[in-house]
Amino acid sequence: MNRRRWQRISKRGFLYGAAALLALQAAFPFFWMVSTSLKPPPEVFAQPPSFVPDEPTLENFQRLFTATSFNTYFRNSVVVSGLTVLLTMIVSAAGAYSLTRYQYVGREKIAGLILCTYMFAPIMIVIPFFILAKKLGIENTHFALVLAFTSFCLPFTLWLMRAFFKTIPLQLEEAALVDGAGRIRAVIHVVLPLALPGIIATSIFTFILAWNDYIFTRILITADELKTLPVGVQDLFHSALIDWGLIMAAGMMITIPALLFFVTVQRYLIRGWGAGAVKG
Amino acid sequence: MKSSSELSSSFQVEIEREKFFSGWFRRWIPSTKAKRKEQLWGWLTIAPALILILGLTLYPVAYSIWLSLLEKHSFFPDERFVGLDNYLYLWKDPEFWSSLWLGVVYSWWTILFQIILGVAAALILNEAFRGRGLVRAIVLFPYMIPTIVAVILWKWILNDTYGVVNYWLCALGIVREPISWLGADHIMLSTIIMSIWQFFPFVLLSILARLQTIPPELYEAAKVDGASALRRFIHVTLPQIRGILFVVILLRSIWMFTKFDTVWLMGEGAGAGRFIRTLPVYAYMRTLTYYQAGLGAALAVIMFAILVVCTIVYFGLFREEADIG
Repeated sequence: MNRRRWQRISKRGFLYGAAALLALQAAFPFFWMVSTSLKPPPEVFAQPPSFVPDEPTLENFQRLFTATSFNTYFRNSVVVSGLTVLLTMIVSAAGAYSLTRYQYVGREKIAGLILCTYMFAPIMIVIPFFILAKKLGIENTHFALVLAFTSFCLPFTLWLMRAFFKTIPLQLEEAALVDGAGRIRAVIHVVLPLALPGIIATSIFTFILAWNDYIFTRILITADELKTLPVGVQDLFHSALIDWGLIMAAGMMITIPALLFFVTVQRYLIRGWGAGAVKG
Repeated sequence: MKSSSELSSSFQVEIEREKFFSGWFRRWIPSTKAKRKEQLWGWLTIAPALILILGLTLYPVAYSIWLSLLEKHSFFPDERFVGLDNYLYLWKDPEFWSSLWLGVVYSWWTILFQIILGVAAALILNEAFRGRGLVRAIVLFPYMIPTIVAVILWKWILNDTYGVVNYWLCALGIVREPISWLGADHIMLSTIIMSIWQFFPFVLLSILARLQTIPPELYEAAKVDGASALRRFIHVTLPQIRGILFVVILLRSIWMFTKFDTVWLMGEGAGAGRFIRTLPVYAYMRTLTYYQAGLGAALAVIMFAILVVCTIVYFGLFREEADIG
């Protein structure tokens, strides 16, 4: 009896220890980023390093907003990610509706094709994409960037939206149609409200993907005033002496929007995951 | 069977052709008006998505095959058809072989540890304990943040003079002198560790989502039979997660073998970048550092071909799992 109790306690202990370790390995680098970004420059390089800043200051953030093009990069990121979400959601909602509500020849083939393109990696697309964009004269525009993000996101947003649309019972729509509502009204009043959680979750995944992107922006955008945050922040490294306090402040400012969105959709995440929600 | 071959007169052929075409038409153009309308709407609503995917993903990938046969400057319009010269050049190019090898080393170790850690962590988070939701959310952070942030975090932590890792290692007396984590000797190791940290949450969540659908009765039955934890894992859990494991290994392999941003950013400015110059990084450099778009495209095509061959072999080896997944 005693031995079994001891066994149970040691099992719980192991479980909590492992869980704490898991949380710690993920959280420590972030903690370190927050801590460094709040330190005044001399303290950043102090040895031994202080874990909690002795004299916390917002100096790094102030410099970030005034002495660098951070504000421009931030605005560009918001614009490009926002437009990507808008375009992706319109196209994939229509597509997912088509794949779940209409019967037609080639439907399953199209669905299969879309799943195949899910496996294409950015590096395979971006080199020819860049050359083609140059030929069309749209390189170095946000337009090209939005198109690139949208086509890259589409396979998985379509797949995800299709899974969400499948869970909405057809009978509800049919009832509305029988009541004399047109197809479009049935969609607006019956399907969209029910699909809203799925649409929100999918939008946020798309937003995070566009927000986090590095490779497409690096290759398609060369003008400084058009750069988005990840590329802009990388260029902060190019000064002779790396200003770690400033860089950590920039890192925090990129991470916060992505994490805020992530926390809001956390609940949908596991469900979406089953349908193949996230790519990278 | 015999009689049918004897009967194959021109008349028979005529009937066959009739059948074929009427069948073909019926497949594409339905008989009733309502069905035709439905078909039209179906095509119209999928069209934007299909056009974008065909035009902006499949066409560029196909175009890169053509591009790989050209000698082309990345920024100037002139191009010259050179046949397979780019491929022949790469065949003799030691940089290509070294990038292929480095890419294989990087993918192999990152995939192996992502899978092991991901499955282990999923098993832990599948147990009921207080604060599980919180731990699950925190563990996913590294996967959700931009790669650039993950890279600057690690570069700062691993900094040779001011990094906290070196400080600890020295303070605890494990090493006498700070280790140059981003130097030639250790940069591959650092990049592998950092990538595992960044990407194992994907494996964790995929496996966890599947674990939560396993009926608890299966475990209870095994417990009654007196099976140990290890045996329960092998005989109950593993058969259940085989299907998803098959998919996860496939996706992670494709994505790690083609991983560009993490590896490129880790090597940038570190001076030791060429020790982690994997195939995707080399393709990027040929295109945008040496401006040889043809060679860059040839590298992308080779990468794609390797992936296709490996995927086919993988499906062949694990056909059963493919059916479950």
